[in-house]
Amino acid sequence: MKRVAAVVSLLSLAAVTATACSSTSKGGSSASGGGVFTTIDGFKPGLDVNGPINPWNPKGNMFQGYNAMKLGWVKNTLTDPNQFYPGIAATWEIAPDNSSVTLHLQPNNKWSDGKPVTAEDVKLSIALAYTQGSTAFSTAPGAAGAASDVEIVDDHTVKITQDMSNPSVTFVRGVMDSFVVPAHIWKDAIPANFWDTLKASRGEGAEADKARAEITALSDKVLAFAPAKDVSSGPYTLERMNPGEALLVKNKNFYNAANVGPDQVKLLNYTGNEQIWNYLISGKLDNAPFTAVPADVMKRIGQTPGNAVVKGFSPVSVAMAFNQSKKPYDNVHVRRGLAYLINRDEVTKIASPEGGTPALTTTGIHQKPAEAWLGSELSQLEPYKLDVAKAEKEFKEAGLKKTGGKWTLPDGKPWKFTINVPAPFSDWVSAAKAVTSQLNEAGVSAEVLTSADYPLYLSELAAGKYDVGFWLVALGPAPYNIYQRLYGASNGWSILGGKIKHSAPGKDGNWMGSPETINVEGVGKVNPGELTGKLNTAPESEQKAIISQLAKAANQDLPVIQLWDYVNTQFINTSRFTGFPENDSEALRLTSGVWLQLGMIKKK
Amino acid sequence: MTLIGVPGRSGGIAVVRRLAGHLARGLVMILVVTTISFLIIRNIPGDPMAAKYEKLVEQGMSPEAAQQAVNVLYGFMPTGSMWEQYLDYMKGLARLDLGQSLTVPGTGVGTVLMSAAKWTLIPVLAGTLLSFLVGIILGVYAAIKRQGKLGDLLAISGSLLHGVPQYVLALLLGAIFTTLIPILPAGGTADIMFEPGFNAGYIGSLIQHATLPVVTYALASYGGWILAMKSSVVTVLGDDFILAAELRGMKRSIIFRYIARNAILPLFTILALSLGMLFGGAIFIERIFNYPGLGLMLIDSITGRDYALMGGAFLLITVAIIIANIAADLLYTVIDPRVRSGGEAA
Repeated sequence: MKRVAAVVSLLSLAAVTATACSSTSKGGSSASGGGVFTTIDGFKPGLDVNGPINPWNPKGNMFQGYNAMKLGWVKNTLTDPNQFYPGIAATWEIAPDNSSVTLHLQPNNKWSDGKPVTAEDVKLSIALAYTQGSTAFSTAPGAAGAASDVEIVDDHTVKITQDMSNPSVTFVRGVMDSFVVPAHIWKDAIPANFWDTLKASRGEGAEADKARAEITALSDKVLAFAPAKDVSSGPYTLERMNPGEALLVKNKNFYNAANVGPDQVKLLNYTGNEQIWNYLISGKLDNAPFTAVPADVMKRIGQTPGNAVVKGFSPVSVAMAFNQSKKPYDNVHVRRGLAYLINRDEVTKIASPEGGTPALTTTGIHQKPAEAWLGSELSQLEPYKLDVAKAEKEFKEAGLKKTGGKWTLPDGKPWKFTINVPAPFSDWVSAAKAVTSQLNEAGVSAEVLTSADYPLYLSELAAGKYDVGFWLVALGPAPYNIYQRLYGASNGWSILGGKIKHSAPGKDGNWMGSPETINVEGVGKVNPGELTGKLNTAPESEQKAIISQLAKAANQDLPVIQLWDYVNTQFINTSRFTGFPENDSEALRLTSGVWLQLGMIKKK
Repeated sequence: MTLIGVPGRSGGIAVVRRLAGHLARGLVMILVVTTISFLIIRNIPGDPMAAKYEKLVEQGMSPEAAQQAVNVLYGFMPTGSMWEQYLDYMKGLARLDLGQSLTVPGTGVGTVLMSAAKWTLIPVLAGTLLSFLVGIILGVYAAIKRQGKLGDLLAISGSLLHGVPQYVLALLLGAIFTTLIPILPAGGTADIMFEPGFNAGYIGSLIQHATLPVVTYALASYGGWILAMKSSVVTVLGDDFILAAELRGMKRSIIFRYIARNAILPLFTILALSLGMLFGGAIFIERIFNYPGLGLMLIDSITGRDYALMGGAFLLITVAIIIANIAADLLYTVIDPRVRSGGEAA
């Protein structure tokens, strides 16, 4: 018994010492320099000590902006996908016809082991990117915006040329958005003859197929490649981690080390939003990226000293998408009637009061870039404001009948409007319930069904099992990416070998089932999938006209009803650090690692 | 060599035979459960790659690039017909190869499991033993004092805690000790600022972080132990040997030992089985306290449809339960002379 008591006493002493040491440790760090910046990595839910130090591995322990560096950091702009903050590249020159980009690397940048960052590192990283799937570095025949040549001009200059047989306006973005790793560590991950194999893969025929297969076969090896220690060119290197936290320490060799504030960064593990809420309520985090937060939790977060919210543009909207293979949703009047019955202001207030703004109308684009792309045309589109009379008119035009206060199908059979949503997405579930409540009040018998999780939801959606489901749209800023959500593979259009192909509803992942062509008022007959494909290659001057046609088509035909536009709601705590981005900053969608490396964050 | 508590050579042979029988049955059981779990896992609907694709396009990747990135991960997915996949899986198992994880591509399932298992063992083992010790001691007391207020109070506390779901307790304790009186950490295993090793700071931090999961687990299981022990003691109290001991005027402490020793026998079996369930983890507790054990790993593997990892986790749980069953049976033989001698002593 005495032994047990002694052990218990020792353990209690250790716990007390830990508490004491914990505060001492943090205090000591603050005194010696820039303090400890605590955050979570939005790209890495679920830290994993088994993950390799590999930026391409989904569980890799390289964290964007901290110890993982890209050539440049994409700015959060409304319409231009080719705006960047410097990363490994200090400056860049884009050819007027977008045919090439010449990168000038940071002149004084070194890896954390003291070796200089050179053009060889960039070239090897590009080779690795080819094995992992990348917009600019793709071996797929006819891929739009793929590079055709990578040339080392000198130790600190690399020129990358686009294959102009199928160019894309997002080519430069594809290049800049690439990770760079040290060649002296990673050189064994790919064979020495890689570039010859890549050259062979660009042709046609059996030899090219074989070469492409060889490159594809490297993907697993590259993904599993695990350097023994972190050699970083970023502002921090990974010191150690446990399943709950990762500790990164300042890399004195980083080109902008003198301006990097905190000495250390602590990344906390999370697997769900509620853990982030707890961290925020307890005041632990200096920054948390966009997190959906219900109103009551928001109130509690706001009560913690120093906590504040920064808001900005987020190119994502939520929509209710129809499966037009199912009746009566193949009838545009039914879709329009439903749009007139949904009060989007109310839905947004209930589902996403802090993280969303009600959609002005349905265009396929987020409201802010829609204003920039469409200008005054936006106000001429049908806003689909709550209007029961208009809804009734549309339903009657579709042949629906109202008996006993309930709308029925044209043949008099009952009509049940069923919305499917994934159960873990609390804002979508709330929104779907709000929509069904509004529809039930208007005489449309409506219900919500939830799927156990997102993978199940997506597979059933793609299999065409749902009548109506929630769907993310407007994923910009690249216009092609935006409209691909409405008129891409899920609606029958895919790009094969640079050519647009349309598949019938129910085939090749086409679960939306829109008609292949639509008669758009004031425009004429359009093929929205073909127009979307053109957005990939059309210069900016032509893009505006195409977007105008697509916005009109989406607004008139309503393959989806846009409900709300997401707002990038970030949390910061100003008790320990200052210099956080302001509202609507172009840095807001980047990790705080990028803010730190740009020298924005300073200790208070 | 003589087995502990087993008298003579023939007794030893009997135990070895019994053990061999158990092991053979256990192996068959493992094979059956592995086959059934394989079939269930492979037939879970849902497309993890579609979810990954959606995540990538949401982050701004072009649809084509996202598709390519997802195609890379397909290399870690099992291929071929269900039968071929089953044969591959069983061949791998025969070589003790559980396959590659899909959620941590390139990492063996065994590595991922072992990494998570240690964090489950801490709260669940500590919680089980703590609740067992407290539960049986208070259970004896509640039975002896069952006519008094304290006895009633203990029995009521047991019933109440036994009826409250683990997640409710976890949320309650979490709200109190991490938010209202924030003296304990809300998640993780240890403060990363401490160098891992045998030093006071690190060990103290481990204890701090494990406190809420352990206490929650202990409180959630304590009710069951106290009620089971009370019921067992009440049964023993009516036995003749207790009456005989009282009539002989034996000391109360000796009578207490008699009662406890006999009443605890059925609880040892339950304890052994509970220890076998250790690897099942404490899903709600780990999720709520963000404690990265097997329970949390199992949730992640199901969400990510990581078939190999799910299969490995179910296999580990199955093996642990079967071993615990065998251990419980053998333990009972050792601690209860009536079972050892085939009932002759009774």
